[in-house]
Amino acid sequence: MKRKLRVARYIKNFRVRLYLIFTGTIALLTAAFVSFYVLTDMRSYRSTLEREGRLLATILAQNARLPLFAENTEALTLLAEGTARYPSVLCVTIANVDGVTVAKARNKNEQANDIIEMKVDITSPGQVLSPESVLLGNAGSDEQRVIGRVRLSLDTSGARERLIHLVAASLAIGTLFWIFVSLLCYQILKRVTFSFNLLMGGIEEIGSGKLSARVDLDGDDELGRAANAINAMAASLELRELENLALQEELLKSMRLEVQEEKKLVMARLIQTNKMTSLGLLLSSMAHEINNPNASIRFSGHMIGKMWGDAVPLLDGVMQEEGDFFLGGVPYEKARAAMADNAAKIVENSERIARVVHGLRDYGVGGGAHLRQKLEINSAVSAALSVLACQIRRDVQLTTSLGTGIPVLNGSQQQLEQVLINLILNAMQSFADGRGGVHLSTRYDSSSCEVIVEVQDNGVGIKPETMERLFEPFYSTKLERGGSGLGLYISQYIVAEHGGRLQLTSAPGKGTVARVVLPATPPSVGGVIPAKDVEHPADPLHQVR
Amino acid sequence: MQFLKILVVTLLLLLPLPAFAYDVLVLQSMHEKGYDEAVNGFKRECRASMRRLVLTDYAEADITRITREEHPKLIVAVGDRALELARKQRSTPVLYMMALNPRPRTGVTGVGMLLDPSRYLFVFDALGTGKVGVIYDPARSGAYLKRAQSAASRNRIDLVLREVRSAKETPAMLQSLRGKVDAIWMLPDTTAVSPASTEAYFLFSQGERVPVVTFADIYLSMGGAVALTIDRHDIGRQLGEMALEVLDGTDVDDLPAGFPRRVVTRTNDGVVRQLDLAGRL
Repeated sequence: MKRKLRVARYIKNFRVRLYLIFTGTIALLTAAFVSFYVLTDMRSYRSTLEREGRLLATILAQNARLPLFAENTEALTLLAEGTARYPSVLCVTIANVDGVTVAKARNKNEQANDIIEMKVDITSPGQVLSPESVLLGNAGSDEQRVIGRVRLSLDTSGARERLIHLVAASLAIGTLFWIFVSLLCYQILKRVTFSFNLLMGGIEEIGSGKLSARVDLDGDDELGRAANAINAMAASLELRELENLALQEELLKSMRLEVQEEKKLVMARLIQTNKMTSLGLLLSSMAHEINNPNASIRFSGHMIGKMWGDAVPLLDGVMQEEGDFFLGGVPYEKARAAMADNAAKIVENSERIARVVHGLRDYGVGGGAHLRQKLEINSAVSAALSVLACQIRRDVQLTTSLGTGIPVLNGSQQQLEQVLINLILNAMQSFADGRGGVHLSTRYDSSSCEVIVEVQDNGVGIKPETMERLFEPFYSTKLERGGSGLGLYISQYIVAEHGGRLQLTSAPGKGTVARVVLPATPPSVGGVIPAKDVEHPADPLHQVR
Repeated sequence: MQFLKILVVTLLLLLPLPAFAYDVLVLQSMHEKGYDEAVNGFKRECRASMRRLVLTDYAEADITRITREEHPKLIVAVGDRALELARKQRSTPVLYMMALNPRPRTGVTGVGMLLDPSRYLFVFDALGTGKVGVIYDPARSGAYLKRAQSAASRNRIDLVLREVRSAKETPAMLQSLRGKVDAIWMLPDTTAVSPASTEAYFLFSQGERVPVVTFADIYLSMGGAVALTIDRHDIGRQLGEMALEVLDGTDVDDLPAGFPRRVVTRTNDGVVRQLDLAGRL
C-alpha cells in the first residue's frame, strides 16, 4: 500500500512525468529507428543477394554460351562448379533449350529453407548473323535467341544469421543510446525543473498555512516573476491574517459580553416563565381551595334565604301577636328586610367569587382554550376587565367605548380575553409616572367585515428599535418589572389563529394604539351587540396602590 | 470504215507485246538490301532491257516456261536460291552474283561473294603472321581453301586448317588451335561461322592475342582486327560488264567465274593497338 502510494506520488511528480515522456519517446524513436534500420538493411541485404545471384547467373550464362553451344559438358561443369563455390550459392544448374540439365553443381548438402531461385536465359547474340547475311550487308537485330538456361539457388540462411547479429547489435547500440540520452534528459530536466520545484515547494508551504514562507527564487524569467507574485500575495495574505486575528479577538470579546447579557436576559425570562407557571399552578390551587368553601357559603346563603323565607311568616305572626321584637339587636321590622338582603348578598357575592376564581383558573390553567364558539367581543372585553379589576390602579383612568351592531365572532372567548388582558396590562404599564388614561373601544367595519378592538394609551410610546422586536418571544423591555416577553408573542399567535391580525402603532412620547382586527360574519347572519359606553373605576376592594 | 476500226483495235491489242520482249531476266532471290545494291550496280553498267523477278513474290516460279515463252538472252541470278533455280534451265546462259556457293558449270558463270584468297594472304603477309588458323567446312569451302593453300604456299604462309562439319564443332576446333597460330582467318563459311559460334573466334583472339581477319566489317565491333569487305554495287557493275559481253555474243563459257574486284579494308584500331599491329598495317 505504501509502495503504491509512493509510486503514485512519484508518477504525479512533474519532473518524473516529463522524464517518463522523454524517455518513452526516445525509446519509441530508438525502437523505430532500429526497426527501420534492420528492415532496410535486411531488404538491402536480400536485394544485394539477389543482385549478386543475378550477376553470377548472368556471367555464368555469358560464359556458358559457347560451351553450351558446343555441348561441352566438362567446360559447363567446370563453370557450374566455379560458380557454386560462392558462399551464397547453393546449387547451379545449366540446362539446354529443351530443359535438359547439362551441368549441375552443389555447394552445400544441407537443405536450406529459404531459397532464392534465380533463372537467367543463355542467349546467343542477336547482332551476330550468318556469313551470308553479313555479306549481304544486313545489320544485326536486338533479338536474342535462347539456347539454354542457368538456374541458381541462393541460400539465404546467411541472411538470418545476419539478421540476428544485426538485431543484437542494433539493440545494444539503441539501448546504449537510450541510456545515454535518458541520462542526458534527466540532467537537463533536473536543471529545467529545479526552479519549478522550488516554486512548487514555496507554494505548497504557503498553501499549508505558513504564510510567512517565501519562494526563494531569483531571476527575471516567468518562474521568477511568478515567485515574486506569489511572495507578494503571501505577504498580503499574512497581513490580512493578522488583521483577521485582531478582528476575531475583538469579536470574541464582544460576543462574550453579548452572550453574558443575553444569558442574563434569558435567565430573567426563564425565571419569569417559571414564575408564571408557578402562578398558574398557584391560581389553580387557590381556585380549588376557594371554590370549596365558597360553594359551602353559597349553599349556606341559599339555605339562609330559604329558611328566612320560611321563617318570615312565622315571625310576622309573632310580631302581629306580640309586637315588634329585636333580632340580633335590630328591630324585626328592619331585620326582616336586611336578613333577606344579606342572604341574597351572600349568594351574590359567593357567585361573584366563583366567577372570579373561575376566570383566574381559566387564565392560569388555560381551560377551554381550544373551544370555538359564538362569542360577543364586548362580553370578552367585560370579562377581561373583570379579571383585571384588581389590577386597575386609581391613577389610571380606564374608559371603554363598546360599539353597537357588532356581529358575533367565531372563536375562543377565553383566548381573546387573554389577548385583551395582555394589551390592557401593556397599556397600563406604559406610563412613566404611573398616571394616564387607557381607552378601550370596539367597533365593526362593515366595509371590510371586520371587528376591530383598540386599546389606546397615552403612555411613553415605543421606540422604533423596540418596535422591530416587539413580537419576538421573550423580548421585553420590562423584564426587571416582571415582564416575560411572551405577551405580545402569544397574543399575535392567538389573533392569527382566529384569522385576524394584531397591529401596533406608536409615537414615542404620545402613546400607543394596539389594534386587534378579527374577521366577522355579517350582522344579518350572526347576532348584534348593543353599544355601551362605560367608565370603569378601580375596584375599591382590589385596588392596587 | 469498218476496216479502220478493226485495224485500230488490233493495234491496241498488240501494243503491250513489246513489253514482254527483253534481253536480261534478273532473278533475285528475295528483297534484300545487298541484292538491290548489286542489281543497281548491274543496271548502271548494263543498259539492256531486262525483267526483274523476285522469287519471294511468287509461290513458285517456273523458269523453264518463262525462258521458253519470253526468250531472254541472258539470265542474271542474284543470290544462291536464284542461281539454283536458274540452273534448272539450260537454254539460256546464266550469270550469277551475290552467291556464296556458286559451283560454276557449263553455261553458268559470274562473280562470287568470296574475295580472292590472295587478298587475305596479302593482309596476313603484312601482319607478319606465319601461321594462320582456318576453320572450314570442306563441303562448302573446300575448293576455296585449295586455292588459298596454293596461294599461301607462294607467300610462305602456313595455313593451319581445321575441318568442321557442324557448327557446334567450331569452339572445340578453335581450342585446338590454341598456341599454334599467329592469326585466325575467318571464312564466310556458314558451318564454321554460325551466329552461336562467332563469339568463339573473338574469345580465342582475346585469349591468344592473335588477330582475326574477317570478311565483314560488322565483326570488327565484336573484336575482329581487320575486315576485307566486298563492294556489292561494284559486284553488280562487274557482272554488268560480263553481261554486256555475253549480249554482244561472247560465249558464257569463255568468261571465267571471277572474284569481286574491289575490296574495302577496314581495321579495328583498338584491337590493332592492343595486339601491337599498328605499325604493320
